[in-house]
Amino acid sequence: MTNSRTHIAFVAPAIILMLVILIFPVFVAATLSFTDYSLGNKTFNWVSWENYEALLKRSSYKKMFSASLTYVFIVVPFSVVLGLGSALLLSSLRFGSEIYKTIFFLPVMATLLAMAIAWEFTVDPIIGVANATLKSGCEVKWFYSLMTGSWRGGEPLDSWYGLGCVEGMPNWLGDRKLALGTISFIGVWQAFGFNMVLYLAGLTAVPRELYNAAQMDGADTAWKRFRLVTWPMLGPSHVFVVTITSIRSFQVFDTVEALTQGGPSKATYVMVYAMFEKGIKQNLVGIGSAITIVFLAFVLILTLTQVYFVNRRVHYS
Amino acid sequence: MASITLSGVTKVFGNSRVLNTTNLEVADGEFLTLVGPSGCGKSTTLRIIAGLENQTTVNVMIAGKKVNDLRPSRRNLAMVFQSYALYPHLTVRQNLEIPLKLRDLSFAERIPLIWSCVPGAREKVDKIGKVVNEIAATLKIEHLLDRKPGQLSGGQRQRVALGRAMVRKPAAFLMDEPLSNLDAGLRVHMRAELAGLHRSLKTTFIYVTHDQAEALTMSDRMAVMIDGDILQVGAPNDVYNDPKNIRVAEFVGSPKINILPGRTDPSGVLSCLNVNLSRRLRESVAGDVSIGLRPEHLSLQKKNAENCFLGRLTYKENLGSDVFLYVTINDEAHQVIARATPFEGHDVAIGDDVRLYLVPDKIIVFSADGNRLQLV
Ligand SMILES: Nc1ncnc2c1ncn2[C@@H]1O[C@H](COP(=O)(O)OP(=O)(O)OP(=O)(O)O)[C@@H](O)[C@H]1O
Ligand SMILES: [Mg+2]
Repeated sequence: MTNSRTHIAFVAPAIILMLVILIFPVFVAATLSFTDYSLGNKTFNWVSWENYEALLKRSSYKKMFSASLTYVFIVVPFSVVLGLGSALLLSSLRFGSEIYKTIFFLPVMATLLAMAIAWEFTVDPIIGVANATLKSGCEVKWFYSLMTGSWRGGEPLDSWYGLGCVEGMPNWLGDRKLALGTISFIGVWQAFGFNMVLYLAGLTAVPRELYNAAQMDGADTAWKRFRLVTWPMLGPSHVFVVTITSIRSFQVFDTVEALTQGGPSKATYVMVYAMFEKGIKQNLVGIGSAITIVFLAFVLILTLTQVYFVNRRVHYS
Repeated sequence: MASITLSGVTKVFGNSRVLNTTNLEVADGEFLTLVGPSGCGKSTTLRIIAGLENQTTVNVMIAGKKVNDLRPSRRNLAMVFQSYALYPHLTVRQNLEIPLKLRDLSFAERIPLIWSCVPGAREKVDKIGKVVNEIAATLKIEHLLDRKPGQLSGGQRQRVALGRAMVRKPAAFLMDEPLSNLDAGLRVHMRAELAGLHRSLKTTFIYVTHDQAEALTMSDRMAVMIDGDILQVGAPNDVYNDPKNIRVAEFVGSPKINILPGRTDPSGVLSCLNVNLSRRLRESVAGDVSIGLRPEHLSLQKKNAENCFLGRLTYKENLGSDVFLYVTINDEAHQVIARATPFEGHDVAIGDDVRLYLVPDKIIVFSADGNRLQLV
């Protein structure tokens, strides 16, 4: 081993491939992020940290970070909880679980761009099904009183629903305050099926005897068994699901591109969309690369956190 | 401490019947072994007693009380599982505390940090700690209390699983092949320890195993179960020497009992192959029977005598204290196993012609349908 060079030859292909297709592009992007290069120009100037300063100072980039983080902080918890909940329900079903699995997993398999068009029609303020349904609810007494809060004595017109009945239902994608929420809703819809499948896989790895032991030990409600066995035994799944969902949420692009193009007034201006707009649409490669590097840093932090947790906390053997 | 009675228990999974109508009585403080080949329904029986499996039709009584609809935790039983089923994310101490915490502490008292504000909680928690320490001392696992189950050896895990069963001081222990994951040496050691534990606790033990040696060595009584039927219940000696059914005889004893074809002539006298046994059946039935002979009831014979089989030695199994001789007899149509002392075993070589003497007093006779026939 010490004298032979054979081992180098064995690992060389993997290392060279990694250098060429992973490390080298990142290195190029990092270099470009210190320039004002724009595609088509013959030359460029070194601008040192200027691009990064712009990211921190300019309000459109502040909106970018806030949009991306908000999206992540909505999509991750909701899709994780929904994914776990549906996995638990499905694993307790005796029959029919295959059908539900397929249905919940469909959004994951479908092209998000195609789905985005369907969503666009659904939430369209004029011809959309969502608002048409809400509108028809205005006539139904119990629904109206439930939604407006008048059943507990509230003034119907103070609520958004009461107002919507009079002045028209909200414009889900066109309203600056609602657009990111709507995009996040679609993100949750799309992501939770994937999380459900990951949790289902995790659940099959929990030994059945542990549940029997818990029953013998006095965990006689489903909740106690969940706390004592299921939740801790899913430790590795939790870490994996949260990390994967966070990274995928940071990467959100297609819904934004298809539905809002970052608007209205940059309310949905998420990082990858900004990268695309600056680096490709406007050919500002320098600033685009800087966004890319910051984006990679986020992903790296998430991945390292996962590695740390997986190694330290959740593997019990 | 409690007696346990199963009456008329049946269990059907889907459309396969796993337990036929089963009756079993376990006396207070008894060590009963449920033994049988793999898949015969031992675990299912145990799980029905524990309440983990719904009985299809059943009556389970514990200490004279019907417990059919009682939850597992209310039956005051403890179970030791084959895979130990320790909670891998908890330390040994926490594993031992769980049954007591779930039984004695209220919801608020189990929440970390909050519990110390609940009046009276500290005394309860201290008491639990004391019980756990006592049990750990009994089982000699005090030095392991802060480890996780993943950091223990098989034997240590086994002890922790026992400890978790013991902390609640249950009315009875149910054990499902608790030793089958241990290596041979440790298994023999733990057998002795379990038997000792039973003696000191004086609690009812129901012990499931597929290893007939465990059943023979440890139990007060053993129940032999085959294909969902309990065929015989009795003291290990009785089951070994006086099996009621050919399947019991074949299952109990290692090496297996030799079964040879036999006949009764019209006057009721038995013969086996070409050997006249000069014994009679109590109720004489002319025709074919099966004759069971334990290996220790066949011995090597130097000179020609009555009651001898002639055969050829094909294989010698040397266990140190005993040598088992595999002999084909009757023109190689049958193989029998005979026990010999190491000294005798040394004298014969594979391929030799040997003469085996059978002790006519010890033969066990079964009818063609497998039931035991008594001799005069
Ligand atoms: N949940 C179930 N559904 C259907 N059949 C089952 C189920 N559990 C057990 N069985 C069947 O019941 C029979 C008895 O099973 P059981 O686990 O009681 O066997 P066992 O005597 O404990 O065997 P072993 O020594 O291998 O543990 C087996 O044939 C098994 O296939
Ligand atoms: Mg079993």
